[in-house]
Amino acid sequence: MGWRQPLLLLWVTLSSLACSTAYEEDSIRMGLASAPITLDPRYATDATSERINRLLYQRLVAFDERSMPIPAVADWQRLSPRRYRVRLNQSAGRFLQGRRLDADDVIATYRYVLDPNNASPRRSGITMIEEIVKVDDLTVDFKLSRSDPLFPAYLTLDILPADLINSDHDFARNPVGSGPFSFNAWPLPGRLILKRREDNRRFEFVEVKNPTVRVLKLLRGEIDMLQNDLSPELIDYLQAQAGIGIERRDGSNFTYIGFNLRDPQTADPRLRRAIAHAIDRQAIIHHLMQGAARRAEALLPPEHWAGADALKAHAYDPQRAVSLLREAGYGAANPLRLVYKTSSDPFRIRLATVVQSQLKAVGIEVELRSYDWGTFFGDIKAGNFQLYSLSWVGIRTPDIFNYVFASDSLPPAGANRGRYASVAVDRLLQQLESADSLERQAQLYHRIQRQLHADLPYLPLWYEGQVVASSPRISGYRLMRDGNYDGLEQVRVRRQQGMEDGHIAVAY
Amino acid sequence: MIRRWIPYLLIALWGIAALIGPWFGEAGNAIDLERILQPPGPTALLGHDDLGRSILLRLVAGAQTSFMVAVGVVGFSALAGSLVGLLAGYHGGWLDLLLVRVIDIFLAFPGILLAIALAGVMGPGIDNLIIALSVVGWVGYARLARGQVLSLKRRDHVMAAVALGSSRLTILRKHLLPLLMAPLIVEATFGMAGMVIAEAGLSFLGLGIQPPQASWGSMIRDGAGYMLMAPHMVLAPGVTIMLVVLSLNLLGDRLRDYLDIRLPKAAH
Repeated sequence: MGWRQPLLLLWVTLSSLACSTAYEEDSIRMGLASAPITLDPRYATDATSERINRLLYQRLVAFDERSMPIPAVADWQRLSPRRYRVRLNQSAGRFLQGRRLDADDVIATYRYVLDPNNASPRRSGITMIEEIVKVDDLTVDFKLSRSDPLFPAYLTLDILPADLINSDHDFARNPVGSGPFSFNAWPLPGRLILKRREDNRRFEFVEVKNPTVRVLKLLRGEIDMLQNDLSPELIDYLQAQAGIGIERRDGSNFTYIGFNLRDPQTADPRLRRAIAHAIDRQAIIHHLMQGAARRAEALLPPEHWAGADALKAHAYDPQRAVSLLREAGYGAANPLRLVYKTSSDPFRIRLATVVQSQLKAVGIEVELRSYDWGTFFGDIKAGNFQLYSLSWVGIRTPDIFNYVFASDSLPPAGANRGRYASVAVDRLLQQLESADSLERQAQLYHRIQRQLHADLPYLPLWYEGQVVASSPRISGYRLMRDGNYDGLEQVRVRRQQGMEDGHIAVAY
Repeated sequence: MIRRWIPYLLIALWGIAALIGPWFGEAGNAIDLERILQPPGPTALLGHDDLGRSILLRLVAGAQTSFMVAVGVVGFSALAGSLVGLLAGYHGGWLDLLLVRVIDIFLAFPGILLAIALAGVMGPGIDNLIIALSVVGWVGYARLARGQVLSLKRRDHVMAAVALGSSRLTILRKHLLPLLMAPLIVEATFGMAGMVIAEAGLSFLGLGIQPPQASWGSMIRDGAGYMLMAPHMVLAPGVTIMLVVLSLNLLGDRLRDYLDIRLPKAAH
C-alpha cells in the first residue's frame, strides 16, 4: 500500500502543473465570419484584414467621436495651406527588432503607396501628396498639390518598417509592425494567432462562417467572443443565455437603396419620393432588426463633423405614395413594375422581401433578383439596375460625397453608380475645393446633403449598430463605433476562474 | 386497422394540399412583421417564419411544388425509361448493346450531382427542375423494363404470339406491357419518394424555385439560420417531408406485396 501515496502526490503535482502551464498558454479566441485575406496593409481592402492590421501596425492619425482627425503616433502642424509638418510623438512604438518607428519608415511607406507602379488600392486616397521631405529623424514634411484643411484625416496608412519595405519582405504572410500586437503564426487560412506585446497573451482569430455555429462555439467555450455578422434573433438568443455578455452601440455603417437615374422609370423624382414614403423604415428596424439600427437621413451620421442633423425624414405615408404615383401616371390599371437587385446574403434577401411587400401595398410590383456577390456588384458598377441595396462601411472623411455623387465620378473613376448628375451638387463640390476652413467645408457639406435628401439618388435607410458577445471568461472589451477590434488591447481574462480555464484549455 | 390507413391518408392530404395550393400561394407569401418567428400557438397551428409568414400556409403551397415535381419527373422518366427498356430488351442485338451502354454511362454518374449541375446551368425554376431530375431519373425504369422483357420474351404465351404471326407492336402492347406494369408501378411509387427528397434537396441548395414561392426544401434552408430560436421553422417542413416520403415508401412496399403473386394474399 505504501507506493500509492507518492503516486497520488505525483499525479496531483503533474495535473496542477498541467493546469498552470495550460493557463499560461491559454489564449483569447475570437470568432470571425470571414478570415483576413492579407496582412499587408498596402494591399488589404476587406474589412477583416483592415481591422486585424490595425492591431499589428500604427498610423499617424486617429479619429475622435466626431470623425475629426486627432494625433495618434504623430502631431501635425500646418506650415502653409500646402505644407504640413508631421512630428512623431511618444506613442510611436517599436518594431520587432527593437527599433523605434521613425521618419524613414513613414516616408518609405507613403512613397511605396504613392508609386503608381505598385498599384496599391490605397493610393487614390493620398494622391494630393506632391512631395515628402525628411526634416529630422522624427519629423516629415508633406507638400500638397492643392490646399486641403482636412489633409491630416488622410494620413491613415499603416506604417511599415523601411528596411523591410526595401528588401521586399512578404508582409502579407509575415507581417512586422509597431502596433500593440505582434504576429505569431498563421497555420491555416481560418486560424490566425497574434500575441499582445504588453503581456504576451495569445489571441486566436478563428474563422467560423455559419452564424449559428459561431454562436454554439461561443456557448461551448470554444471561442470567447464574436462581433457583428449575427442575425438580430441570434443576438436576442445569446442575451437570454446565462453568463454571455452582450454590448451594443450605435454604428455608422450606412445602408441605403440606390436608384438608377438613367433609367426612364426611376429617373422620375416623384416616383423616388413615392418609394421613400412607401417604405416603413421604423417597422423594419423594430421588427426585423430588433432595434439594432437607427434611422438614417444622409450618408454621414449626424454626430459626424460634416454630418447634417436637421434633415426632415421622408415619413412613412402610403397615402401620399399612392397619390405621387398617380401624378407620375401609374395606377391600378397601369402598375409600376421595378426590378430590385440584391446580393445573396440571407439577411439582404429578407430585407428585400420586406421592401417588396411594402411597395406592393402602394401598388408597385417589385421583382427581386438576388445574385452572388461578383455578379451583383458587377451589375451595380455597370449601371445595370433599377433599384439595389448596399451599405457603405467605415466612412470617415466627407470626400465620399465627391466620390459618390459628382457627375464626373462615374465608375470606374468613382462610385456614382446611379449616374446622378446635379448642377447644384457639382457646384457645391467645386466650392469645397477652395474652402479653406473646416467650418466652411462643414457648411457646404450640409448643403450638399440637403440637396441629396431632396433629390433622392439614394434612399437612406439606416445606420447599422455594432454588437459584441463575449463569454464570462473575459472582460474589458470596448466596442468601437466602426466595428474595429482595437478594444482587444484592453481585454482581460477574469482571474477567479483560473482553474476552470486550465481544464477548458486541456480539454481542447 | 387505422394504422394501415395512415399512409394513404397522408398521401391523400398531400394530393389535396397540392390541388388547393394555388389558392394559398398568395396568402403564404403575406408578410407580417409583427409575427416574426412566432412559435406555434392557438392562432397559428405551426407558427410563423422569419418574415412573419404562416408556416402552415407555406407548407400547403410547398406541397404543390413537391407534388408537381414528383409526378412530373416520375411520369416523364417512367414513360421514357420503359420505352427505352422495352425497345432494348425486345429488339436485342446492336440496339440493345447501344442502349445498355448509354444506360451504363448514366448509371456511372452520381445522379444527384448531375441534377445539381443541370439545374445550375439551366437556372432556377420548376420546369427546369423537372427536366434536370428526369434526365437522371429515366435510367432506373429503362433497366428494370429491359430486364423484365428479357425474361418475359421467352415465355410460352409470347412464343405462341410470335408463332401466330402477331405484329411486334401487338406483342409489346398486349403480351409484355401488362406483365411489366406491376414492377414499374412499384418502382414509380418508390421513385416518387426519391423525387420528393431530390426536389427538397435542390431547393435547399437554392437551385429549385425562386423565392418568395414556397418549397419544403427552401423552407428548411430559410429556417436553418434560426434553428436555435425557432426550431419550428425547420421541424415543420422536415417532419412533413419525412411523413410524405415514409408514406410513399410504405405504399410502395404494400403494392409490391400485393402485386407479387408468389406471396399468399392471406398474409396481408
